[in-house]
Amino acid sequence: MIESAEQAKKNSVYLNALKELLYQLADDDFIISFRGSEWLGLAPHIEEDVAFSSITQNTMGHAAMYYHLLEDLGEGEADAIAHDRKPEDRRNGIYLEKRNGEGTYLEEPYYDWALAVVRNYFYESFKKVKLEAIAESCSYKPLVQIVNKVLMEQTYHLAHWKLWVSQLQQAPKDAKERIENRVEEAWDEFGDVLQLGKYANEMVEQQLMISEDKLKEMWTKEISSVLVSYPEKPLGNKYGSGREGDHTADLDQAIKTFSEVYFSDKEAVW
Amino acid sequence: MYNYVEDGDSKTTAYVEGDQDKYEQFMARIEAGEKIEADDWMPDEYRQSLIKLISMHGISEIMGALPEKEWVPKAPTLKRKLGIMAKVQDEMGHGQLLLRVAEDLMKPYERTREDLMDDLLNGELKFHNVFHMPTKTWADAGLVGWLVDGAAIISQTNMLDASYGPYQRALQRICQEEVFHAQHGEAIIMALAEGTEHQREILQEALNRWWPALLMFFGPASKETTGSSKQDVMIKYKIRKSTNEELRQAFLDKYLPRVFSLGLTVPDKTVHYDKAEEKWIYQQPDWDEFKQIIRNKGPRSKERLRLREIAYENNRWVRQALAPETVEV
Amino acid sequence: MAEERDFYQVYEVFSRRGKKAPMQHQFSLLAPNQEMALMMAQENFMRREDVIDVWVVKQSDMRKMTSEERQRWTKRLDNKQYRTTKGYGYLRQKWKEKEQGMLDEKEILSWKEVKKK
Repeated sequence: MIESAEQAKKNSVYLNALKELLYQLADDDFIISFRGSEWLGLAPHIEEDVAFSSITQNTMGHAAMYYHLLEDLGEGEADAIAHDRKPEDRRNGIYLEKRNGEGTYLEEPYYDWALAVVRNYFYESFKKVKLEAIAESCSYKPLVQIVNKVLMEQTYHLAHWKLWVSQLQQAPKDAKERIENRVEEAWDEFGDVLQLGKYANEMVEQQLMISEDKLKEMWTKEISSVLVSYPEKPLGNKYGSGREGDHTADLDQAIKTFSEVYFSDKEAVW
Repeated sequence: MYNYVEDGDSKTTAYVEGDQDKYEQFMARIEAGEKIEADDWMPDEYRQSLIKLISMHGISEIMGALPEKEWVPKAPTLKRKLGIMAKVQDEMGHGQLLLRVAEDLMKPYERTREDLMDDLLNGELKFHNVFHMPTKTWADAGLVGWLVDGAAIISQTNMLDASYGPYQRALQRICQEEVFHAQHGEAIIMALAEGTEHQREILQEALNRWWPALLMFFGPASKETTGSSKQDVMIKYKIRKSTNEELRQAFLDKYLPRVFSLGLTVPDKTVHYDKAEEKWIYQQPDWDEFKQIIRNKGPRSKERLRLREIAYENNRWVRQALAPETVEV
Repeated sequence: MAEERDFYQVYEVFSRRGKKAPMQHQFSLLAPNQEMALMMAQENFMRREDVIDVWVVKQSDMRKMTSEERQRWTKRLDNKQYRTTKGYGYLRQKWKEKEQGMLDEKEILSWKEVKKK
């Protein structure tokens, strides 16, 4: 067991794999929470808006905890890590950066609730599998401690989106089709979320994570019990792999937005 | 946040003929400090004034989420992102509480939340003047949290003893959360006021921009100013205690010294406290502009309503899909 | 085709703060069904407080007192002292004369434990 940041820094192979894993966890939560924050005030009804926002806040809180772990490892200040990194340095899955729909949150937001439901369900079911793997077998104690906390409230997130996906896929034709279409789309784009990036082998060797294959297997089991139908083909990486630094213009838009004030005066205390 | 808009006289009589006994009993109950519940007998004037007040209050919370929301995804640090999200979420939550109260009052008319949304979109249901204004910089987000919420706290706490039970209970919850809002706003403002020259500049600009809207917040001092005012009815029925001007003075009392203590100024050279009269002297805002604003002709009225409309229309399929007859639970 | 307005069903929300606290009414919300109502309840009304259990009940399934019933059925004569300890207060003096303490509420509720034999 590696007890502290200082101890982790002593082994560069370990350190690199650990940082890579933390960037993935942090960037995934950060970007999906950003997309959630764009939805604020625009959900199908007010009660859901409030509930959704709690999930978004929790998720941003999780990202912040991972960024602080990176800060402890000497990667700079958490706020700088979150706001001031180029797209190619970001490790989130590409599907998670996808825009919420047509328009922007400021103008003509034709956001698609079916995308929100499918994406969040896919993500939260994946997050559960990944975090449980860390909780059970990760060798970096500061991360395990945080993950155990995150799992406490993440249970609600998954239940929430599972309910939405379950009810909408049982609803009349129109809603059902919307969900099915978004599931098919996700199938072509979700592949990289389940990848571990360039240090995948080291992560396994250093006992930081389970293997990609195992991760994928467990996730598939999770969703196959809930989704009424999903494609038989393998998951795709339509736009490349976010774990390797590939990203789309949607991430550029996201960075421009979430860093706008931060960039307006980097020296300032906000 | 808050609140009601005074626009247009509804020509309701206090009660219909023959109900005089009930009316007198009702007045005796509220005079005795009892709370009226949704299914109690109440004068038409009371019910309709409450529906108007509370649906405006509720819908203003929902519309009020939008100006601040513009800065939610842009908030400059992780901590500020979390804080402002929680704050705007609360505004939606306050809208939820208040609309539920209004919906129960509308039950005899078989009107629902759907009707309120329709009324908002077709311009019949007004929302508060402050939420028609632009938020141009991050400082606006702070200023709204600090001073607009400050003004809201003044008017809402004034109704904490309201005679209508469900409203009073909702306000109790709301005001408790407002304490967090006030401090959230103060934290943003404090960082800007103690920050770089650029930060102080955007803060002062934001205050200059918001000053007239803040004065307008409480409505005109008397109905002569804008042609109508509901304040007398509200006081008669023990929904609120103070007049518009009393509330405005209370706001200036509490907040102007703080504004000045941060080295900020207000864009009105005549502002001062008159010790003899024991009140703040200030230049009246343009009440004609106020009337235009609440008729959805303010600087951002159209855009905000458009956002609400798209969100509402575009998600209609979800509400249709889950409407009870069709989904098996 | 379902009517959109039927999406808005009123549910009353109840919650408990802690193991020793009773169920308490919180507020009401609109949701299309019971499961959704439960999923919304906690985050809508108990974001900042402890909660260990939540109930939702469809408002139309509740039999509430009507306005009239509230006014008529909730008033009682003030002659029920025989139901409360108030009506037996004289015992304190009696026991005192016999050099015994009064087994009052405070005393009796403190009897959670008895001596282990």
